[in-house]
Order: sequence, then C-alpha cells, then structure tokens
Amino acid sequence: MSSLIAWIPDVFVALAPLLVVTLGGVLLMLSEVLSKRPAGSSGPSSDLAMGSFLAMGTGAVVALALWFVGPENLAGAEDAAPYLIVDRFSLFFQLLLCLGGALAALLAGGYLPEHRLDRGEFYPLLIFGTVGAMILAAAGDILSLFLGLETMSLAVYAMVGFRRGSMRSTEAAVKYFLLGSFAAALLLYGGALLYGATGKTDLVGIGEAVRAAADGTQTTFSWGLLLVAMALILAGLAFKVSAVPFHMWTPDAYEGAPTPVTSYMAVAVKSAAFAMMLRVLLTAFGDPSSMSWGSGWPPVIAFLAVLTMTVANLVAGQQESVKRMLAYSSIAHAGYVLVGVVALMKSDSGAQEAVLFYLLAYTVSTAGAFGALVLCGSRGREAVSYEDLSGIGKRHPAAALALSLFLLSLTGVPATAGFFGKLYIVKASIGAGLHVLAVVLLLNSVVAAYYYLRVLVYMYMREPAPGAPIAIPMKSGYVSTALVLSAALVLLLGIFPSSWLELATSAALAMAP
Amino acid sequence: MSELSWLFALLPAIVAGVVAAYLPREAQAKHRFALGAVIFLLVAGIGALWPEAAAEEAQDKAEEWPYLLDLLVALPLVGGIFVLFLPRQMLTLVRGFTYAIFAATFVASLWLLGIDYAPGWHFVHITPWIESFGIRWHVAVDGISVWLVILATFTTPIAAFSSFGSIHKNIKELCAAYLLLEAAMIGSFVALDLFVFYLFWELMLVPMFLMIGVWGGADRIKAAIKFFVFTMAGSVLMLGALLYMVWTHHQLTGQWSFDYLDLVQVILPGQLGSWGAQAACFWAFSLAFFVKVPMFPVHTWLPDAHTEAPTGGSVVLAAVMLKFGTYGYLRFSMGLFPGQATTYAPTLAGVAIMGGILYGALCAWKQNDVKRLVAYSSVAHLGFVMLGLFGATVSGIQGGILQMINHGIATGALFLLVGVIYDRRHTREVSEFGGLAKVMPVYAALFVIVTMASIGVPGTNGFVGEFMIIAGTYVSERLNQFSSIQAVGAAFGVILAAVYMLSVVQKMFFGPLTHPKNKRLNDITVREGLALAPLIALIFILGWFPRLLLDRMEPAVAAFRTQLVNLSELAKSDHMQPARYSAARLAPAEMFGSGYLDGAPSLEAEKKDEPESAGADAQAAALEVRDDGTVRAAPGGAR
Repeated sequence: MSSLIAWIPDVFVALAPLLVVTLGGVLLMLSEVLSKRPAGSSGPSSDLAMGSFLAMGTGAVVALALWFVGPENLAGAEDAAPYLIVDRFSLFFQLLLCLGGALAALLAGGYLPEHRLDRGEFYPLLIFGTVGAMILAAAGDILSLFLGLETMSLAVYAMVGFRRGSMRSTEAAVKYFLLGSFAAALLLYGGALLYGATGKTDLVGIGEAVRAAADGTQTTFSWGLLLVAMALILAGLAFKVSAVPFHMWTPDAYEGAPTPVTSYMAVAVKSAAFAMMLRVLLTAFGDPSSMSWGSGWPPVIAFLAVLTMTVANLVAGQQESVKRMLAYSSIAHAGYVLVGVVALMKSDSGAQEAVLFYLLAYTVSTAGAFGALVLCGSRGREAVSYEDLSGIGKRHPAAALALSLFLLSLTGVPATAGFFGKLYIVKASIGAGLHVLAVVLLLNSVVAAYYYLRVLVYMYMREPAPGAPIAIPMKSGYVSTALVLSAALVLLLGIFPSSWLELATSAALAMAP
Repeated sequence: MSELSWLFALLPAIVAGVVAAYLPREAQAKHRFALGAVIFLLVAGIGALWPEAAAEEAQDKAEEWPYLLDLLVALPLVGGIFVLFLPRQMLTLVRGFTYAIFAATFVASLWLLGIDYAPGWHFVHITPWIESFGIRWHVAVDGISVWLVILATFTTPIAAFSSFGSIHKNIKELCAAYLLLEAAMIGSFVALDLFVFYLFWELMLVPMFLMIGVWGGADRIKAAIKFFVFTMAGSVLMLGALLYMVWTHHQLTGQWSFDYLDLVQVILPGQLGSWGAQAACFWAFSLAFFVKVPMFPVHTWLPDAHTEAPTGGSVVLAAVMLKFGTYGYLRFSMGLFPGQATTYAPTLAGVAIMGGILYGALCAWKQNDVKRLVAYSSVAHLGFVMLGLFGATVSGIQGGILQMINHGIATGALFLLVGVIYDRRHTREVSEFGGLAKVMPVYAALFVIVTMASIGVPGTNGFVGEFMIIAGTYVSERLNQFSSIQAVGAAFGVILAAVYMLSVVQKMFFGPLTHPKNKRLNDITVREGLALAPLIALIFILGWFPRLLLDRMEPAVAAFRTQLVNLSELAKSDHMQPARYSAARLAPAEMFGSGYLDGAPSLEAEKKDEPESAGADAQAAALEVRDDGTVRAAPGGAR
C-alpha cells in the first residue's frame, strides 16, 4: 500500500479532491453510456444520483483529510502553483462546493424522475460543473481562473435548459448563457488588460506589480490600464455573484431552471464566484492603497452591497412566486456577503472568516430551502406561488417544518446558522468601522423577515381557497436525506458555531498577506 | 414559633384540602382535584412572599443552588420540544403534561423567594459557551428581575389554562408555543450575557407570532406580521449597537465579551445629548425597548396585536412581554448608558406623559371594542411605569417595578374577563352590551374589582404603584424644573383612567338589558373562575401588603440608583473635557456597588493573572491605576 502511495506523484495527492470528483464524473458518464436499461426499469436517477452524491461526498471527505494533514505538509502542494493553489482556503471552498453539489445531486435524484426529466446526462454535467467550481476556487492565475469559470458555466447553462420542452427553461438558459458569456468576456478582457499593465497572469505576480507601482518603486506603470482592468474585472465578478445592477438575469434563470439546478446555482456557483472574488481582490488588489477607502475598490463594493441588499429585498417582497422570491433573496444574501467583502479592507476585522462562515451557513440554508420547495410539490402540482403552499403545514407537517427552519435561518433568527452568519458579518463591518453599512444590513434583514414570514403565514395560517390549485408533496428518500442533512447542519452551525468559525478562521489565515 | 413551623409548611396543603372538600356537591372529582391543586399553588406562592417564611427557609439552606435558573429555563424549553412528540389525539395527556411542566416551573420559581435579596446577583451560574467570542451562559437574578421571573411563571399557566377553554384546534402546538414562550421569557429576564439575552429576546417572537397568526381573530395575519416586523426592526438596531459595544470593549481590553457586567463598564465616546457613538447606541437600545413597551409613537402594533390575539396570547403579551420593554430600559438602557439616559430623561418623561399616559387614555376612551380599549389602557399604564423609570428616584423605580407587576395582574385579568364575554357573544363591541350585571352578577362583580385595580383605587395594587410613581416624579431632580408639572400630568392620567374604565363598566353592566341575546348568558364557569381567582387574590394582597415586594426590591433598587447617579455625574464631568469624551474608556470599578461586578469575565481574568504577578510592586501599581479613577486597564498593552 505504501508503495502505491509512493508511486502516486505528489501533485496528485495535493489535487486529490479535484481528481476524485473528476474521476467519479468520468466513471459515471461511461457507465451511463455503456449500460443498457431494459424498458420499464427505473430511470438513470436511481443509480446516478447516489453515484454522484458519493463522488462529491468522497471529494469532500478527501478535502477534509487534506485539511487535517495540512497543505503545508503536502509535498506536491506547490507543484501546480500558480495555476492551482492548494491551501486551506481552497480546501474550505472545495469542501463547501462538494457539499453544495452533493445536496443538488440528492435533490435531482428525487426531482428529475418525479417531473419526467430523468435523463442520465444531468449528473455528469453536475459533477463537471462542480469540478469547474473547484478549479475556480483554487485558481491562482487568470488563465486557470477562466478555465474553471467556463467549465462551471457551460455545465450550468446546459442544466438550466434541462427541461427541454419548456419555454421558460429554454428562455432562462438562453438569457443566462448570453449574459454569462458577456460577463466572462468582461472578465477575460479585464485579465488581458491586467496582463498588459503588469506583464503577469498569475495573481500573486499581478499583486506584486501593483504594490510596487503603488509604492513608487515601479515608475513606468499605466494606472489607466489598471483602472479599466479593475473595473472590468469587478463588473464580471458582480455579474457572477449577481450583485445589483448586474442581477437582471438571476430571477429569470433561477425561476426557469429545474429547482435542483436553481439550488445549485444559488449555492455552488455563487460560492465559487465569491471564492474567485476574494482571491482576486486579496491577492491581485491586496496592496494597502487598493484596499483603502480613498483609492481602492472598497467604496465600489460598498455601493454595490447597499444597492444589492436594498433593491433585492424590496423587490423580493413584491414577488408572488416563492421560487422567484428565493431568487431575489439569494441576491440579497449576496449583498450581505458583499458587506463582509468590503470589511476585508481592514485586516483585523475578522471579515474573511465572517464571509466564509456566511457562505457555509447560506449554502446549507438555501440548499435546504430549495430542497424543501422541491419536496412540497409533485408533478403537475408544483409549489410555485404562495397560494400553492396554503395550509401545507397541516397537510404535510414535516415538509413545512423543514421549509420553516430554512427560512428562519435565512431570516437570521437565533439558534440557526443564518443568525451567526449575519452576526459575524455585522461584527466584521463594525470592526472595520463601517457602521452605516452594518445598519443598512440590519434594517434590510427586517425587510427580508417580512417576505420569509409570509411563507410561514401561508403554510400555517391560511387554508387553501376551495378549488384552487394546491401543491401536493412528493415522496422521495433522496430529497428527504438532503433535507435532513442540511437541517442538521443549520442547527449545528446555529447552536455550536465555535468550531465552524475556527474552521473558517484557519481557512482565512491562508489568505492573509 | 419553631414548634409550629411544620404547621406553616403544611398550610398550603391544608387550605387546598379544605377548599376541595367543601366544593359544591355537583363538582366532579377532577374539578375538586384541579381546584385543590390551584389553591395549593396559590397559597404556597403567597406564603413564599411573606418575608418571615423566607427567613425561615434561608436558615435551612443558606446557599443558593446555582442550577435553579438553568432549571427554570430548561423545564419549559425541553418540555415544549417534548410536547411536540406526544400523540396529537391524546389531548388529556398533552394538557396534563403541559400543566405539570407549568406547575413544576412555578414551584421551582418560588425557591427564588427563599433568600435574602441583598444588592448584587443571586443564583449566579456561569458556563462558557462560544469561547472564541467570549459568549458565556451567564444567568442571575437580583431584587429587580426576580419579580418579573415570578410574574412570568405565574401568568403564563393562567393564560394557557384559559386558552384551553376557548381554543379547540391544534392544542398540541398551542401547548408547545406556551411552553417555549415561557422559556424564552424567563431566559431573557435572567440572562446577564447580552448575547444570551438577545437570543431569548428574538426567540420569544416566534411563538407569539404563531400564537397571534394561528389562533387569532379575523385580521390576525396582518397583526402578526406587524408585531414581528415592528419588534424585529427595533431589535436589529439593538444588535448592531450591542456589537459596537462588544467591539469597543475588545479594543479597550483585548477581550471579547458579551457580558453585561463587562459592557456596563464601557463608556463610549460622545458628548451628552449630541450625536455620537454613545447617543447612537443609547437610542438603538432604547428604540428596541420603546417598541416593546410600547411608547408613543411606536405603539401602533399593540392595539392590533391585542385585538387579534387569542385571549391567552393577549394575557401573556400584556402581562409579561410588554415588561421586556420597561425591564430592558431599566437594566440595559439606563445601566449601560447612564449619562445619556439622564440627559434625555426630561424629554422622554414628557413623551411618556403626553404620548403614553394622556394620549393612551384618550384613545382608550374612544374605543368601541373592549379589547382595544384595554390595549390602549396598557399604553397608558406602561406610560406610568416608564415615567417612574425616567424620574429614577428610588420610589419612582420601585413604583415602576411594582406597577409592572400590577399591570400584569390587572390587565391580564381584564383580558381574561373580556375573553369570557367574547366566548359567549363573539363580539366585543361595547354597544352590544348593557345591563349585564342582571344576568351575570359574579362576572360583573369581578369586572368591577379588576377595573378598580386598573384605575388604582386605594386598597388595590394599582394604587400603590401609581402613587409611588407620581410621588417619585414630583421629587425627581433628574426631571429638572418640569418634575412637578409632570407629576400633575400623570395624576390627571389617573383621572382619565377612571373616566374610560368606569364609563365602559357603566355601559356594559348597568342600565337596561336591551339586547335579546344578552338575556340568556351564563355566568362565569368554574374554569374561568379558576383562572381569575389567583389574579383577584393578588390584587388585594399586593394592595394591602405592598411591602412584601417593596422591602425585598429596595436594596437592589437603591444600589442601582446610586450607581446610576455616580455614573451620570461622571458622564457630566466628562461632558466638559474633550480628552475624556472623545475616546472610549472603562468606568472605574468603584463606581459600582461592592459585589456588583462579581462574575464579570474581566475580573475573573484579573484574578487568574494575580498569582503570576504576585510581586507587591505590581499590586501597588495596579491599585494606583485604579485610584486615579480614569483608566483601570490601559488599552491593549496592559494585559
């Protein structure tokens, strides 16, 4: 056994989480292509959902194992640098993304057969999308970053349009594809300009060049080029995290996509985008002058954050579709995270771990909320509007209880994950001296409470109008498993946040300059 | 006396047995048992109030059992979760279990009365929870909060009991909601860690929201959402201010701590009465409490919530939950920001009188819905409580605390009485009634008694509290030259209370019995009488023997007031010196009563450090720093 390990190149060990998931995806794809299903047997979901859950679960376990070994003890950790960086930060995100992917696989395992969408290609797409996201989280170079981004995005475009017969799904896919490509082009162009300004494509090198220019040691430096590059990259990043005013695609794409895909987009794609944002901002633009309020990116992000929170919350309150409400709410949550990103400007504010913890809390709560929404509906009787959910607290108490728990967590009620997420973000922003941002965030969470509570009101306090369409909950072991998993995590993060915060803290330290 | 003490100990059982045995003949065994149990608890509770009994018990067990408060929170919390797993069909089991938990909690809370309430904290229990943030499970009571804990354990069972008479759907969830509500309320009253306080404070909203929304009246959903959003809007700002204080404390000492006893030492930068961190945090905290009280102009959620809530929900809301506003203002706004609280006291007292006492009374006068009338009368009564706190004389604060209890008893009883008539007629319009005294004589008598208590007629509990508040306001030097005018305004509020309460009594109970539906109404049932009996008994007991409460709260109130005066004098002297108000600092420890800060994490850390720096020089140096009275611990470097 030891000889076998010795035979494996060091770099493979360091990149094991990525490789395991990729290998799992390839195997599942091959097995799906080669196997013949007799007519009348159960669809591909029955094997593939569990298979992809296992693949991504193994990825998460391997990432956790590497975490405990410690990236600094891995011989091959530096070998892939600067293209892929193996540190606690990337391991944390790989864990998070695998978790998000695995939850989406479980949701799909129940959703696809129920809605007659059961085609095998979904699962490899999901896995390769996750691989792209993991690459994105680990990327230390503009090239690998773009590679990861496109791998992830292409898979997600296809998944959004997975409901081929539906106009809405197709419309969502086309919209997402067009705007997403536009954002990718902005990022790429920004990267190219950055290369023009600094002569480097790796983030560390760019960071050094910018720092040298800011110190005055490098005199021939094109600040104009850098500024345009920074603006383009920020715009591209804002597209990907769906910050207002770059959010227009989000509600349509989220609403049109099959719900497990929506969950995946809200959770994994957004987290990966934030990983990219943190890495780019802290490494490439992490010098004191770029991080200061007067001369750098913080005011821009702060502006985006205020706009994102406020607009998204106000619009979310107007929605009549729960799924669309959750789409806007995920935009609002991106706004909260952006507040944490602004707080990065002060290194001792604890903003990095706050952002990481928030993303973790947000992942389990949002995946759970979408999952509960999946569980509340069945074919032809989907839970779409508030009215559909009327009285479901009585008809299906377990599903309603689960949805309530996740919505309360998103509201930020104590003893749930979301509360500590908000608490840490607010604490970080106060520590960074951003009192106004903290107050805006807190007031926004009151607005948000209104529309989350509305769901509870419909579920528990209203009876469906006679003859009106109501959602009929489906039965699925996969979806239930996903819900139990996320509910356990929501409560665990909400009651014993200490150890999770330590996890986030040590992941954040890896990024400290 | 000592040889007869066993008789004293058995008194509740004896009285209960006698009453149960002499019930009217038609009563069933279970009625006898229920009545016996209620009487037992009541007599035990009243007995525990008497200081002689307390002194005797204190001899038996002088030490305070540290887990008592944990038990008080845990019993209803665990019970509330457990009740959800009981089978829905077995109503008797669900109700019986709920009663058992309530009774156990109430009996346990009576142990709180068994000690002598010297200034400082009692029944302290501290356990680390989230250490990286310095969040600890720190619970304790003093002579102020202990009464509110008992008010919660006393009124919640009554509310639940009365609900079971009129609510017949989702009983299991109702039981869980009541139990969780009680746990959250007790938790907020005893928490000394502000994080734990905030946790329970928010947790309290969920059961109440469900209670209004699920079991409420026709327009319940709007009322429930209004209640939740109003309260949450106030409390998130409090959370922001809290985090700012914690962060400032961290900057000053290098320690993370959410502990009240640590944060109470922090003096935030800012001048008195001008916009700065101190004033902003004061207003953020106070707004949260003013919403809850509720004070004009953020009171508009209350009439809606009360009108739509089921009777039991209204009782808990009025009797206990509104007290979080007044208690929170006393403990946190006045405790953490003494200077600002003093500066704004005259203005706020004016708001309490004009917007609370007078405007609330005038609004109550014009209501046609009896429940809405009682709700507005709550606004007026809590205006009195707030006035007592703003005046901040010993008698004013004592009267304020007493009035919190009195309002809980009298308004709780009023809501129960309104619930009785609503269950019979399904309307609460005053114009629908008239001459009820002829068909429901007992009901009318009880209503008049409670009305008297609510107005504050001498001999009932309301009189003592209002008198102390008005007297305290009159002599208060904090209210400057306005104090006498304000006392007169408050006294005028008492007259208005008589006007609106007596006019509704007159319209409902006297005059001709015109409405045909009113001619066949039953008088109150045994169940309704059982729910009301303890409240009526307390109206008189507290009216005749207010010293039972006042004697035991006085040391704590006096110590609190001394500390308040000291700290606000310090703040006034700071106000003139830019060097002192421009940066955050720690208040000198001798500003606080001896033993007040015991259990503060910073002091414990110092104790740990002391053996290491055992040198006499080091100790002398530490003392010097303290004596100079400005800086107790130099920022960061000293530790």
